[in-house]
Amino acid sequence: MKSWWWKAVGVLLLLYVVIVGLHTPLAPALVHVSEDKLSPGRADVLVTGYNTRFTADAPQAWLENDDQFVCATSATAERDDRLRVVFDVPAGMRRDLSHLVVRSNGRTLVFHDAFWNPAKGDGIAGTGCTPPEEDSAEVFEFPDRSVLYETIRNLFFHVPMWFTMMWLMTVSLFHSLRTLRDNDLEQDRAAVSAVNTGLLFAFLGLTTGSIWARNTWGTWWTSDPQLNGAAAVTLIYLAYLVLRGSVNEMDKRSRLAAIYNIFAYALMIVFFMVLPRLTDSLHPGKGGNPAFSKYDLDHHLRTVFYPAVAGWVLVGTWLYTLRRRARRIEAWLDDEAHA
Amino acid sequence: MMKHMHKLAAAATGALLSVRTFASSAAPDWVEETFYRSGKINAVIAVVTVVLLGLALWMFRSDRRLARLEKRMNERSKG
Repeated sequence: MKSWWWKAVGVLLLLYVVIVGLHTPLAPALVHVSEDKLSPGRADVLVTGYNTRFTADAPQAWLENDDQFVCATSATAERDDRLRVVFDVPAGMRRDLSHLVVRSNGRTLVFHDAFWNPAKGDGIAGTGCTPPEEDSAEVFEFPDRSVLYETIRNLFFHVPMWFTMMWLMTVSLFHSLRTLRDNDLEQDRAAVSAVNTGLLFAFLGLTTGSIWARNTWGTWWTSDPQLNGAAAVTLIYLAYLVLRGSVNEMDKRSRLAAIYNIFAYALMIVFFMVLPRLTDSLHPGKGGNPAFSKYDLDHHLRTVFYPAVAGWVLVGTWLYTLRRRARRIEAWLDDEAHA
Repeated sequence: MMKHMHKLAAAATGALLSVRTFASSAAPDWVEETFYRSGKINAVIAVVTVVLLGLALWMFRSDRRLARLEKRMNERSKG
């Protein structure tokens, strides 16, 4: 077994990804408020938290509207994830939407644009409310984004599938170009093995993406440029296999497949990198949506995401080499049979 | 009569109070309970399961492929 070390590195990286990626807790967050409109007067709001420990201390709560603050008259923990907050809402807040902020166990939790304010004005008179200072205690945890919750961990099991797929298709393109240059059937076998393995990762990417979409967007599939592009690319590479199957003559097959592969690769780049960025897309990183790499991908996620990409690429490469070696033996046996 | 009035008043107050507490507690519905408390962890389990099943399927197919090759090899060495 020649140079096995990178295979071990791939497996160890994935082991790290599974352990740290699934074990790291999600940051506490406010996920729901029982009222979405706060009119002037007394307001009684039930706040739902996730991973919060409201009963562990006496939480403080306040509203934030255009840098003006309204402190809650009371904040009572009913459960670790449930807080009853009572406000005496003043009239005249400047903005349409107010943030809800809860300070609990030394953490500041913000529910952005939690309440609609129907009584806009020129600002409120001093409420004597000064929120406590924020501390900067750093805890290793993943961010809790709205609609994502725990599914933010799918970042390590969905996105690297497509990275690996694109890597294997690049490997395939390289071998296709060499097939054309050298007329070498071994290069052709490498190219088709890489496409085979790449398609495995494409199917895994499609399925995991579909499950993720169902749990965040509420649908298994939606007509989105990124999603349809991924499906189109998968079909284009399936057609590569169909094309190979339809030509019996080995030399002709290898050259035809190599030329098709160049076009397939170009289309993949267009469908993955260009088209989704030109139009609107639900998918993060595409269209008008912020990329995970911009601010969604914080440095805690990165410490697992990069190893995940490296690990999946290495394991994908390993699977590809296994397929390629099997194909080589197959070809040798075929040659022997014909001879 | 007075006794009855007291009872009636008590019952009415009780009913009013219970309505009030019910209204103000605004018990979260099941969606809130299940989604917010589970944090959609099932979606992560499903995704990891799919990935592992996909790899397993791939390995089974490779296994069968190699078995076929071994068979051909054995036939050749015999014949």
